[in-house]
Amino acid sequence: MSLGARLARVDRRLIFLLMTLAVAGPILIPIKLPIIVSKEVEDFYREIEALSPGDHVLLAIDYEPDVMAELSPMSEAVLDRLFAKDTKIVALTLYPGGVGIAQGLLEEAAARHGKTYGEDYVFLGYNPDYSGTMLRLGESIKATYPTDQFGRDTRDLPILRDCDAYRDLSLLVSICGSQLSEFWAAYAGGRYGQRMVSGNTAVQAILIYPFYQSGQIKGFLGGLKGAAEYETRIQRPGQGVRGMGSQTAGHVVIVLLVLVGNAGYLAARRRRA
Amino acid sequence: MLQRSLPIFFAGLVGIFMAVQYFVLHPGMARIYNLVLDWKQVVFACTLMLGVFSLIRFHWRKIARRTADAFYSLVVVISCSITVLAAAVFGTETGPYTWLYDRVQAPMQATMFSLLAYFVASASYRAFRARSVHATLLLLAGAVVMLGRVPTGDLIGFELHGQRVSLASIAAWILDTPNLAAKRGILIGVGLGMISTSLRIILGIERAYLGLSRGTGADI
Amino acid sequence: MPGLRRLTFLWILWLSIGRAIPAPAQEQALAQEQAPAEGEPAAEARWFDPDRLDVLIPTLIFAGLLLAFVASARRGTRLFVRRIPGLDAIDEAIGRATEMGKPVLYLPGLDEMDQPGTVASMNILGQVAEKAAAYETRVTVPNRDPMVMSVAQDVVRTAYGRAGRPDLYREEDVYYVTYSQFGYAAAVSGLMLRQRPAANFFIGHFFAEALVMAETGQSTGAIQIAGTDSDAQLPFFITSCDYTLIGEELYAASVYLSGEPLLLGSLKAQDAAKLLIIVYVVIGVVAAFLNLKLDFWTGQGG
Repeated sequence: MSLGARLARVDRRLIFLLMTLAVAGPILIPIKLPIIVSKEVEDFYREIEALSPGDHVLLAIDYEPDVMAELSPMSEAVLDRLFAKDTKIVALTLYPGGVGIAQGLLEEAAARHGKTYGEDYVFLGYNPDYSGTMLRLGESIKATYPTDQFGRDTRDLPILRDCDAYRDLSLLVSICGSQLSEFWAAYAGGRYGQRMVSGNTAVQAILIYPFYQSGQIKGFLGGLKGAAEYETRIQRPGQGVRGMGSQTAGHVVIVLLVLVGNAGYLAARRRRA
Repeated sequence: MLQRSLPIFFAGLVGIFMAVQYFVLHPGMARIYNLVLDWKQVVFACTLMLGVFSLIRFHWRKIARRTADAFYSLVVVISCSITVLAAAVFGTETGPYTWLYDRVQAPMQATMFSLLAYFVASASYRAFRARSVHATLLLLAGAVVMLGRVPTGDLIGFELHGQRVSLASIAAWILDTPNLAAKRGILIGVGLGMISTSLRIILGIERAYLGLSRGTGADI
Repeated sequence: MPGLRRLTFLWILWLSIGRAIPAPAQEQALAQEQAPAEGEPAAEARWFDPDRLDVLIPTLIFAGLLLAFVASARRGTRLFVRRIPGLDAIDEAIGRATEMGKPVLYLPGLDEMDQPGTVASMNILGQVAEKAAAYETRVTVPNRDPMVMSVAQDVVRTAYGRAGRPDLYREEDVYYVTYSQFGYAAAVSGLMLRQRPAANFFIGHFFAEALVMAETGQSTGAIQIAGTDSDAQLPFFITSCDYTLIGEELYAASVYLSGEPLLLGSLKAQDAAKLLIIVYVVIGVVAAFLNLKLDFWTGQGG
């Protein structure tokens, strides 16, 4: 077999091995890379910074453990920032597997900032039927969630005393690994005029551009790089910044593989000609 | 006859109501709207029950018949039972249920998602070949965006008339302009498709949701 | 499971009635909640919200177009719809599965029954199942959503009946897997590797698990046809599948396959609406160039 043909038919197990080394290497030997904040992250940052102490924020942690590695860094950074600004966080999730994630993130962030459950933050839990929930929240949060995740009556919680619908919320933050951010923009934003920002996986972030450009979503964080940019902006380096080495190496390997494959393909084609 | 026409009538009635209530600001309408939303959640929750029973029945039959995959079915049934018992007996806030979520479900889901890294690499290697002009353009755009969306993309570039042109800025332009134009076009088309499907359901023309798909009207 | 479905329906009815009649304490709490605060005037009850005029006008235009084309179809006017290339591949795929004596795997997507992608998938499933039944080829349909499973069972059973082979229908071929996204992907991948279906159909709305399933299917050598309105997954399907129906082609394919004049009428209405939007965009671009404001009719002031 000629070299060209060999290059065009690399065994996929070798490809898998190269990817493993590319992603694992920078975790074992950290690489520090410069991070420049993009416009959409800067807009996200501005929306959060515009909040005042006591403002209510709806935080929708809509993802499951599969995308935890990509979205939890931004969730942690956002939670830290919101608590640091003394905003009141009303958290929920529209995925059954997201309950454990959301609960863990909230408890850890609250402990770091000395926040009290029921006064500074509340976790409403999981509700099935995402579209119905998004619409119903525009009418009444307490009617949509009569009890919180821990069975407490939402009418008895101080944080929800003066907050019962989108009109009482200053911002909606949707951290999501699927199309739910678009649905939030349509239902909460389109119907009730709720101001919102979002954090999405890199694949989903590409779909957020039309909403961002039209102003329906005021700013967004795209994937692990978005998380790294936001961490850099708020001067709180975390998992996002640490993950940039692996992500860079992985992308470089894929591009190199594509180039190698094409080199082999063109060489084989020339040989046939 | 009634089994078919009653759901169609009901779907049409609720559909028209949901469309009309969007434009009406009346407390009475709002009360009925909230009620419909409650019913929607009730229906969804109840269909989950259907799904669970179907799952158990499907796997129980395989175990009873001792088919080739019966072992996997046994694993499913036992896992389901243990998880439900753990939640029912010890609660969902702490204890075995939480342990199962943190130590079993979360790592397994994360592992499955991680496979995408390998599949993206092998699919890219196999599919991105410069077979034609369009394929070459796609390949170049893909390479630029892949490198532009990581920190190194900001480092690779040059100065042009006092402005920095880097892979990151080119990638941002690709996402902001041609990608956005194409996405918007697809969004509009899909949006029109959604409206059309909804209107067809309201008018009773579309009946696939009742399991009444039509016969083959065209050759496939 | 007709008994179980009847039971579920009755339980839904019971819970729904319960929700409709609030307890007196709850009624009082609701009234207090909705009452205006002290000093605030009561919310005005209006029969029309003028802020939503910009939604009403296009909706009425589109509804009008739909009714006009559907009426035209009812009168017997022949409506031309161009053939979608991916549809030839469906026949080829089922034929290949029949020759190899292997089953056909049909994935209706991971979204719920109220989404148009899933509705379109059910239409196509009916056609695929009917053709497969005529060839005595087995169709396996694993589902992520229990409601979709319920509808899919009816669709496949009806399709087998239409093909004159109701005896071939097996309820265990159309089943519920799990609501977990990657649990579903793992189950489907395992199914592909064990049963080695000759043809895989990915028709509906998919999420991140799409590539896992498509690449696994590709490694088994099956012919793969995808049709999805989830544009994030389109690139992955295009690289791993032999044919891909992109976005609206999925809706068009389901209508085209049914051949139903009323559905074709709605498809023409979509095309007409798209043409109007294109014209409006061009007018908007020219107006922006000439610095003219065209949003006077939106009711939202600039």
